[in-house]
Amino acid sequence: MRNLHSFLFKGATYPTLFISVCYAVLFMLSSSCSANLPVQREAQQMEKSVLEVKYSIVCIIHGDGDYLYHDTKGNEFKADVEALAGAKRVAQQNPNAEVFIFHQKPKRHFLFFFPLRDGEFFYYRNGRLIANELYWRDNEQARFEHEVELYRRFHVENQREMVSMFLYYGHEIPEFDGAGYDASYPDRMFTVTDLVSGLKDFTRDSTRFDLMILSTCFGGTPYTIGALGSFAKTIIASPENLHLSYFDLKSLERLDLRMRDGDVSTFAKRFAHQTFDRLTKDVQTEVSVAVYDIDSTHEFLNSVQKVYNKTLTTLDGKTQPAKTMIEHCDCGDLPSYVLPTINAGVNIFYRPALFGRSKYKQNHSGWECWRNIIP
Amino acid sequence: MKAQITLLGIIVMMFVLAIPANAGGKGEIQKYFNDAANKVKATENVTEKRTILDESLKGMTKVLNMVQSSPLISNEDGTAIGHIKASLQEKQDELTGNNGYQRVPDTQLNNFSNYVVQSMEQAETITISLVALLLIIILVVLLV
Repeated sequence: MRNLHSFLFKGATYPTLFISVCYAVLFMLSSSCSANLPVQREAQQMEKSVLEVKYSIVCIIHGDGDYLYHDTKGNEFKADVEALAGAKRVAQQNPNAEVFIFHQKPKRHFLFFFPLRDGEFFYYRNGRLIANELYWRDNEQARFEHEVELYRRFHVENQREMVSMFLYYGHEIPEFDGAGYDASYPDRMFTVTDLVSGLKDFTRDSTRFDLMILSTCFGGTPYTIGALGSFAKTIIASPENLHLSYFDLKSLERLDLRMRDGDVSTFAKRFAHQTFDRLTKDVQTEVSVAVYDIDSTHEFLNSVQKVYNKTLTTLDGKTQPAKTMIEHCDCGDLPSYVLPTINAGVNIFYRPALFGRSKYKQNHSGWECWRNIIP
Repeated sequence: MKAQITLLGIIVMMFVLAIPANAGGKGEIQKYFNDAANKVKATENVTEKRTILDESLKGMTKVLNMVQSSPLISNEDGTAIGHIKASLQEKQDELTGNNGYQRVPDTQLNNFSNYVVQSMEQAETITISLVALLLIIILVVLLV
């Protein structure tokens, strides 16, 4: 009691110290009260940034395979690494976009035994990296299960109308077989049907992507375009071989300037033209970039569906050695595909290879088919 | 100090071993033609350019012949190798102007060397098994 008295007495004798302590406590209390303000501000900013999202881009880059290529100076590149860098630039250069990047990498092990994650995900919004996660790709059930899960977790549900795009950068997506597409999983299958299942999950609200860019070899077949056309209004693809320097991602930077009028169709044609111009500068093999206005291609696709599916069924049932005796060709070279509607809805930019047997071929129908190799 | 060095060594080894075993792999064939293209572009002498291209095509064909006749190779690999050989033969024919091809003009030899590289980069090496590929790589290193 005496001690307490003594303390109070001393407190009374040191009023300055006492008042300081009171101020400090008050300051702390007031600070803690106002601590919510920055959070609230951030939330408001976040809401504002969500409202500003005008473009939603999903980009899948396959890198689990042989993606090495050289430029004309002899420099070595890995196509998936280049595409990843390009996609990141697209994400950073679009302040009004959300960009999902999925990099499917080769399987690797730490000390031979401990598997490392073979998928990497980047999510950008308003030009800023919001999330970067590693994930496992070895899911048995659905090919794009983890990608879809990440997409749903971050996708902006915006009331405002957005321009949506789906980009796939990789090797030719097989129409049948499909084993060995992933070098790390030689028994695992990947076909157009698997991509279709993935797209069903991405677009579960049954809306179609405004633009799909299929940066692969032989993407412009009646089956591939017909199947993927259920998920996109416009598709850009290469009916023939595509050089691994791929379609230009640069054309997707600054979409606010390049797509000011919101006209996706015109933008797609411009994109195809620019890509064609760049590829023809450096590439000696053939170059083909086609833009498919899906709704306008329906009549042709319906007309050839039966004959093309029959071809696929025959090929699918063939033995492996027999499959090595078939090759891709322009559908325009096969009489059963030469219909009045063959050019409807297709804009094709084509230049033959500068050497080889096909160097005199002057045009392409924009559709790619199969034929037996003539010995 | 010794313990620290050992620990550092172990950490470095861990990172080294994390590099994928198949890094490079199929790329060796592409590098082979890219090296030839670099040599073609490095010389001004047209005859030399033709010789480099001719030898590189012949060298790879020789390797593919050996691999194709190996008992380790499956029928499917044999057929796929056959296609690559046919493609190389066509390039050789075009270089020399045989089998209905117009001879590649002297002024186009650099572009033709790029064509060979790009054509091989999109060739069907993807369908060849790992065994066949390893044989090709080993023979390229040993013989060419």
